[in-house]
Amino acid sequence: MDFLLLLVSTGLVSGAAYGLIAMGFALVYKSTGVVNFAQGELVMLTAYIAFSLSNTFHLSFFPLILVTIPVSMLIGLTLERIFIRPMLGEPVFAIVMVTVGLAVILRGVTIMIWGSEPFNFTAGLSNDVIQVAGVPFYPAQLYLIGALAVVSLLAWLFLRFTRMGIAMRAVAANETAALLVGVSVSRIHAFAWMLSAGIAAIAGILFAANFKLVPDLWFQGLKSFPAVILGGMDSVIGAAVGGLAIGVIENLAQGYVGQGLREISGFVVIIIVLMVRPYGLFGNREIERV
Amino acid sequence: MTRTISTLAAALLMSTAAYAADPGVSDTEIKIGDVNIMTGPAAFVGKGVALGSKIAAAEINAAGGVNGRKITVITEDDGYIPARSFQALTKLIEVDGIFALNGTSGTANVLAMMPLIEENNLPTVVTTAPAELVYKPVRPSVFTFGAKYADAFYAQLKHISSKPESKDAVYGLIRQADDFGKEIEAGYERAVKDFGLKDGIRLRFKKGTSNFSAEVAQMQQAGVTVIVNGGIFAGAANILAEARKLGMDIQSAGVWSEGIPASAALSAPAGYDFMVADYVALTGESTDRFKAMAKQYVSEEELAGISRYTYVTYIGLKTLAHAMGQCGQELTRACTIEKLKALKDFDTGGLSAPVSFDNENQLSGTAVAVYQYDTKAGAFQERTGFEQY
Repeated sequence: MDFLLLLVSTGLVSGAAYGLIAMGFALVYKSTGVVNFAQGELVMLTAYIAFSLSNTFHLSFFPLILVTIPVSMLIGLTLERIFIRPMLGEPVFAIVMVTVGLAVILRGVTIMIWGSEPFNFTAGLSNDVIQVAGVPFYPAQLYLIGALAVVSLLAWLFLRFTRMGIAMRAVAANETAALLVGVSVSRIHAFAWMLSAGIAAIAGILFAANFKLVPDLWFQGLKSFPAVILGGMDSVIGAAVGGLAIGVIENLAQGYVGQGLREISGFVVIIIVLMVRPYGLFGNREIERV
Repeated sequence: MTRTISTLAAALLMSTAAYAADPGVSDTEIKIGDVNIMTGPAAFVGKGVALGSKIAAAEINAAGGVNGRKITVITEDDGYIPARSFQALTKLIEVDGIFALNGTSGTANVLAMMPLIEENNLPTVVTTAPAELVYKPVRPSVFTFGAKYADAFYAQLKHISSKPESKDAVYGLIRQADDFGKEIEAGYERAVKDFGLKDGIRLRFKKGTSNFSAEVAQMQQAGVTVIVNGGIFAGAANILAEARKLGMDIQSAGVWSEGIPASAALSAPAGYDFMVADYVALTGESTDRFKAMAKQYVSEEELAGISRYTYVTYIGLKTLAHAMGQCGQELTRACTIEKLKALKDFDTGGLSAPVSFDNENQLSGTAVAVYQYDTKAGAFQERTGFEQY
């Protein structure tokens, strides 16, 4: 089997995980202008919730996803109502700090409920190896790549064609103008948190199915952050592409150069890209008229 | 009347004078401190560690205590953060007034606590961080129980190379890019030289890595048939899962943390009968006896949580209690340290090789045994007994 092909294919798998997590970041940022530092913790929390649902109701993969997403969206809505809504109108920095605090709370609560022991979590997926064009994959890896493709497509369709999606873009472009034309900004913010939590659930379930369910899963949020920067903070689809790019670059760097270059390769690419396109590959340039 | 009161007062003073200088000891109680990881991602390890002290104290107390004094273990959480270990020990010394210390968390944590241990001449048995930095230079009150990671890997590689599954075995190392990983590589290096092993590839990864696809692909390309797996918990399992995906026919040597039930369960789905080497027993009559005894003192849930980490602190407190017992009624820290220094061939009921601190490093438990996990049976099998490497 071709070494390059293997590195690229497995890079796409980890990149898909980065991409899904990054999409959650971008969605909230696009609609609220806030970087949600609790996104990784949401991914972890929803993965643990799915683990409990799976064990309790013995659900296979698709029913598990269908049950976990609404539960996660409800959690997203609740968090927004309790922690973020009261901060409306406050400086962005203060809201970001609230998300940092929220991250710590979610980490603590998760360990308090489920303990710190690592678990095998198959999410109802088989452990048999599947060959695709001569490249071996676990089903969970293929589902991860597939999930990124489906979620990206749905996100694009949603933002492009639905009333709510267009309202979201309007809020992102100019919050005051959106308010003046009757868009409920607070409703948009809540919806962004709900959607972001729903995506976090998909990311969490599939990440845990691929790499075990561990209490430091939240750290993937930070690891996915370069993908958002690369794709553009306000570009949901860009975040997905950025995730794939970072995943593949990391694997190629490790495979051909190795010895720790994996960790810095993504950041090197980001620096180069940002020097050329400061708003990321797909981000919108902000123009200020003086 | 005045004379009687004076006599009584003098008698009272004499009876307590011997241990008035050393806190943590009363006529009925000895307070033992335990700084441990009770919160955070590594808490499941810490809980196993705390359980060892609890079982040892319960067993000792049920047998009448140490010369009639009951042992009380006071556990403080450090969350695996060295600065918090220092704070925890400060609290144990200044508020609780402990006599000695058994649980000491990880290597960086015990090093953070060392100034306090030395300043208070606190009898301390280190069982979960047997690193050279802990026992060299020798601190008079510190006694270390446990082997080097280097020896644990050397032992496994000696066993594997003596019965290779492949005549053209190629060895590959994957380890963390830190001091822990360096120690594993030291054992690997020694084995490569001593047994003339074919060294295929050496790889490093950053702590916290979860995706090992590129590293395992590199190993496959290098023709590796024996993976020296320096990953821990989910990391070790993810390395084996990747190897299985690539259809690699391998033998695997691992870190002793993979000997705990939770870790073994993570690695089992890969289907490899991986090895570990440890300075405490993972299976056999000694562990069966231990569990039967422990049943009297812990809940069913706690019983299920017994692991190698439980055995090490159990042994730590038993050795400490043995030394304290030899001091008789006039128990002092100085006497306990003296007795620990003289400890020779203390029987741990087969849970480890006999414990002796009568050496220049005050170090024991350096003998390791090799175990292999039978994925079908879901249990470890002993491959070698405790040996010095």
